[in-house]
Amino acid sequence: MRKDPLKTQRIAFFLMFLATFLVVVPVGLIVVIIVQKGLPAMSWQFLTDMPRQGMRAGGIFPAIIGTLYLVSGAIIFALPIGLLAAVYLSEYARDNLLTRIIKLAIVNLAGVPSVVYGLFGLALFVVFLKFGASILSGSLTLGIMILPIIITTSREALESVPQSFREVSLSLGASKWQTIRHIVLPNAIPGILTGTILGLGRAAGETAPILFTVAAFYLPQLPSSLFDQAMALPYHLYVLSTQVPNVDPKITYGTALVLLAIVLFMNLIAIVIRYRFRKLKKW
Amino acid sequence: MNSIEVQDLNLWYGDFQALKSVSCAFAEKNITAIIGPSGCGKSTMLRVFNRMNDLIEGVRVSGRIVIEGRNILEPGTDLVWLRKNVGMVFQRPNPFPLSVYENIAFGEKIHSSGTGGKGRLDQVVEESLRSVLLWDELKDKLHKPALGLSLEQKQRLCIARLIAVKPQVLLMDEPCSTLDPQATARIEELMRELKREYSIVIVTHNMQQAARVSDDTGFMLLGELVEFTRTQEIFTAPKDKRTEEYITGRYG
Repeated sequence: MRKDPLKTQRIAFFLMFLATFLVVVPVGLIVVIIVQKGLPAMSWQFLTDMPRQGMRAGGIFPAIIGTLYLVSGAIIFALPIGLLAAVYLSEYARDNLLTRIIKLAIVNLAGVPSVVYGLFGLALFVVFLKFGASILSGSLTLGIMILPIIITTSREALESVPQSFREVSLSLGASKWQTIRHIVLPNAIPGILTGTILGLGRAAGETAPILFTVAAFYLPQLPSSLFDQAMALPYHLYVLSTQVPNVDPKITYGTALVLLAIVLFMNLIAIVIRYRFRKLKKW
Repeated sequence: MNSIEVQDLNLWYGDFQALKSVSCAFAEKNITAIIGPSGCGKSTMLRVFNRMNDLIEGVRVSGRIVIEGRNILEPGTDLVWLRKNVGMVFQRPNPFPLSVYENIAFGEKIHSSGTGGKGRLDQVVEESLRSVLLWDELKDKLHKPALGLSLEQKQRLCIARLIAVKPQVLLMDEPCSTLDPQATARIEELMRELKREYSIVIVTHNMQQAARVSDDTGFMLLGELVEFTRTQEIFTAPKDKRTEEYITGRYG
């Protein structure tokens, strides 16, 4: 019997639609449930108050501030190093076996489970370098975790700048560094920013890397130095949902909502940047 | 006076010899055309003159190329000096994704230490655009993106960007191959204008173009410079049989 191509096509389309649907629905549900259950907790007070009564009442201000500190610390550490490494790998390093292995290793580092970074941070920063459980240790650990993301996306951004731009610049007598500084980097910045912000979103949301290196269980005050422990949103959420009995679910879902909003907001910025610059470039 | 003197130039890409013992001299303030079938080494030769071949891994060169009294193949050659003196126009018009103004100001920006200020820069931009006959078309669009120009305007802009660096020699690698016949004719006209002040070497696939614009012509085949003489002579009375076969269309 001959197959009816139109019918085959319809079945295929339906299956693909179904697959897409199955992917989208859980994500949508998560957002809907968290918003629905978390929204009643939202108030100015919730965002700006210290937690009280063993976290069963009050707000999540120190956790928000702690997360902002950690994310800023991670970026201050990871962006310069990641960018320099990316420039070196894509512009200066010769293409040989060693650099290929290094590039492959960096890509693979992005896939290492975050708890491994947490243990690494514990061993190196907390214990060996004696920074203790502190914002410094946590930031550095998160920074190391997002380095591979920053390096890989920056490298892709640099390598997508057409070779002909470099050639022309060199042919006009510019040095290699001038070419990178005036031609390559400006054209790669949108891609670099996008990668950086995606990395930041990841750093804001991870629990495992801060678990051993910085996170305080219950610390109803703001940190006063780099060597203080701090609360952070993902860990606070974990604590609320597993370690503290009789917490009003409103507070748990409210915390989840704030964390989700921060991460989605960062991704949104990344998308806007990418979109705006894509319209500008025409080569 | 010669702008470029080539003596016994050999070039290898790995094991492949792309240029075989080439010797010739390019006259100053002249247009010299290099013709030949694809892969004959004409673009390679052009790119040796400002050492753009250095970018390719596995290139080896022997021989001498004398420009302004210096052998530019010596290891210690100042490439910034060389490329300021010997500039290049590429096959595909390739302005930077910047404004018209910034494209032309690029050379000034990287070569001067910022002295002279904005007035001087404005002057360089105007002079360069005038010399490629773009000033009247673009004087009101100086701050518009250069990528929005037509192909011909882009190629003129690239020539202007090069002229702003004040080179002695302009190397042109098939500068008209992406342009239509009218635009090609106008660029050729521009080349005749420019040769009053610059020495031009043009690589072209188009024999008519070589015949129209050049004073001297070299014919290359499989890495050899087969014949190099006055353009009129090469097209009317070629000495080598291979040259004759090529220009009468029996080759490539």
